Amino acid sequence: MLREIRHYAGVYLRFMSTCFAAASTYRLHFVLLIIMDQLFYLSMLGSVDFLYNNVPKIGDWGRDQFMFFVAFSLAIDHLHMSFISESFWEFSYDIRTGKLDFILLRPLNTLFSVFARQIRPATLVNFVTPWGVLIYFGLRLGLDGWAWVAVFPLVILGLLLLTSIEILLSMLMFWTVESMGINFLRIQLQTISRWPDFIYQGFAKRFFTLVMPVLLIGSAPVYFLLDHSRWAGLFAMGGALLMSWLLIAFFWRLGLKAYESASS
Amino acid sequence: MIICQGLGKDFKHYQKTAGFVGSLKSFFHRSYERRAAVHNFDLEIQHGEMVGLLGPNGAGKTTLMKMFSGIIVPSHGKLQVLGHVPFEREHAFRKKIALVMGQKSQLWWDIPAMDSFLLLQKYYEIDNRDFKKRLGELSALLGVERQLQVHVRKLSLGERMKMELMACLLHRPDILFLDEPTIGLDVVAQRNIRDFIAQYQAQYKTTVILTSHYMADVEALCQRIVLVLGGTKRFDGPIREFSNILGREKFVSVTFSESITDPTSFWATFDPQWNESRTRVDLRVPEAELRSSAVAILQRFPVAEFTMEKLPIERVMNALLANPQLLKGAE
Repeated sequence: MLREIRHYAGVYLRFMSTCFAAASTYRLHFVLLIIMDQLFYLSMLGSVDFLYNNVPKIGDWGRDQFMFFVAFSLAIDHLHMSFISESFWEFSYDIRTGKLDFILLRPLNTLFSVFARQIRPATLVNFVTPWGVLIYFGLRLGLDGWAWVAVFPLVILGLLLLTSIEILLSMLMFWTVESMGINFLRIQLQTISRWPDFIYQGFAKRFFTLVMPVLLIGSAPVYFLLDHSRWAGLFAMGGALLMSWLLIAFFWRLGLKAYESASS
Repeated sequence: MIICQGLGKDFKHYQKTAGFVGSLKSFFHRSYERRAAVHNFDLEIQHGEMVGLLGPNGAGKTTLMKMFSGIIVPSHGKLQVLGHVPFEREHAFRKKIALVMGQKSQLWWDIPAMDSFLLLQKYYEIDNRDFKKRLGELSALLGVERQLQVHVRKLSLGERMKMELMACLLHRPDILFLDEPTIGLDVVAQRNIRDFIAQYQAQYKTTVILTSHYMADVEALCQRIVLVLGGTKRFDGPIREFSNILGREKFVSVTFSESITDPTSFWATFDPQWNESRTRVDLRVPEAELRSSAVAILQRFPVAEFTMEKLPIERVMNALLANPQLLKGAE
C-alpha cells in the first residue's frame, strides 16, 4: 500500500514538473493566463460588490457573508482550474483522436492517469486573490477557531464533489465522442455552483441539490462555517460523493469497454 | 506469448447521405450497420518471434494490435497475451508491453523528449541506475544523444520516431507492438529504424509484432508473415514461403537498349510492368520456364541488362491484393 502511494505520488510530482516545463515554453501565454484568471476573480467579486452598493441584503446575507461565499467558491475554482480543469479538455481531445490509447497502456489506475495529469502552473500562482478575500471577509465575520481549521478541508471537499460530478458527466464522452456540449454543460454547472442555493427556487433548487447536487458544493460548507449547527449539508455532500464514486466506478468500466479508439 | 482463437471485433457506424437534407435526416433517424473489422482470427506467437502483420489499409491489422495491447475489447473470441487477458488491463500486463504507432505520438509535444522519459521512468518504476543505463544505450544506438533536450515539436519526423521507440523500450517490454513505425520517413531514416529494431531484438530477444506498408521493413525484420485481408487471416507462415503462394516464380528485370513497342502477346503471361519509355520491364517468370523464356528474350529483343532474383514480397502482395482468389491454395 505504501509502495503504491509512493508510486502515485512520484508520478504526480513528475506530472507537475512536466506541466511546468510545458507551460514555461510559452511565456506570454503563461502571463496571459494569470491575467485572465485575475480578471475573472475581480469580475465575480466586483459584481457582488456592485449589487451591495445598491441593496443592503440578498436573502438573509449582507455584503460580508456573500463576499465570503464568493471567495470560498473562487478558492474551489482556483484549485479546480489549477489541478483538474485542463484534464477534462484533454480527455475529450484524446478520445476523439485516439491518443487515449497511450494512457490506457500505462501501468496505473486509468482514472488517475486521465484526470490528474494536466496541471496549470500559471493558475496556481493566483491563489492570493481568492484566499486573500476569503481570509479578509472571514475575519470581518469573526469566524471562530474551528471554522478556520475547517475552511481548507471544506474547500477540498467542495472541489472533490465538483470534480466527481464532472468526471461522471465526462464519461458520456466515451459514447458521444464529440464533447464540446459536455464541456459546456460542465462549465454551466460550475457557474450555477458559484452562487448560494437560496438564489434558486422550486424545481431548479431541488434538481441542483438532489439530482445534480452542484448547489451543495459552496453552500453546504459555507453554511457550516457561518453557523456550526448547519452541518446536515456536509453529510449530504458525503452521500453525494459516495454515490458519485459508485457510479464512476461502474460507468468507467463500461466506458472503457465501449472505447473504440480512432483509426490511425 | 500470444494466443487468440476466434478473435473478432465489430464496429458499429451509421451511414449519412451528403448535404443538408442528409444531415437533417440522420439527426433524427440513423441506420446503423455493424462491420467486422476482425473476424474469427486464430493466431499463436511464441517468445522472441518477429512477426509481420501484412495487409492493405482497413484490413484489420491495427485493430488486432489494439486488441493485443488491451486498448480495445474484442467483440468475441479468446485472447491471452503473456498469460493475461489484455482488456482486463492488469498493471503487471501493462508493464510488459509497449506500443509504437507511427501516426500517433505518445510524447508530450511542448517539452523535450527527456522530460517525457523522466515521466515514463516514474510510470514504470524504473530505478535511476537502470534508467540512466538504458537511456544511454538507446540514445547511442539511435544516435540521438544531442536531441534529448530539444522540444519534441522541433524534431524531424525521423528523430521523433526514434524518441518514440526509446519511450517504448525504457521499461524493457517483453512484447513490442510496432504499428507502421517507419511511415512517412525517408529511405535513410527507414533503414536506420529497421537496423535499430533488428539490433535491439537480436540483443534482448523481445517479441516483436510489426505492421508496415513498406515491404522492405517486413523483409528485413520478420521471419514470419501473417497476411490479413478483410479482417481474416489469409496466410500465416515463414516469409520464404510467402512468395510461393504465386507458384515457384522468379523476378526477372530486363533493360533494353531501345524502346520496345512489340505488340505481341509474348509478355502477357509474365505479368509485365513496363517503365514509361518501355526500355525496362519487370516480369514474374515460373521457374520451370525460366531457361526457355530467358533464351527467347535474349534472342528476340535488344537486351542491355538481364537480372533475375527471388520474387520481391511487394510484388507478391500487389498480385494478391489484385487477385485475392490466388490465396485459396494457401489457406
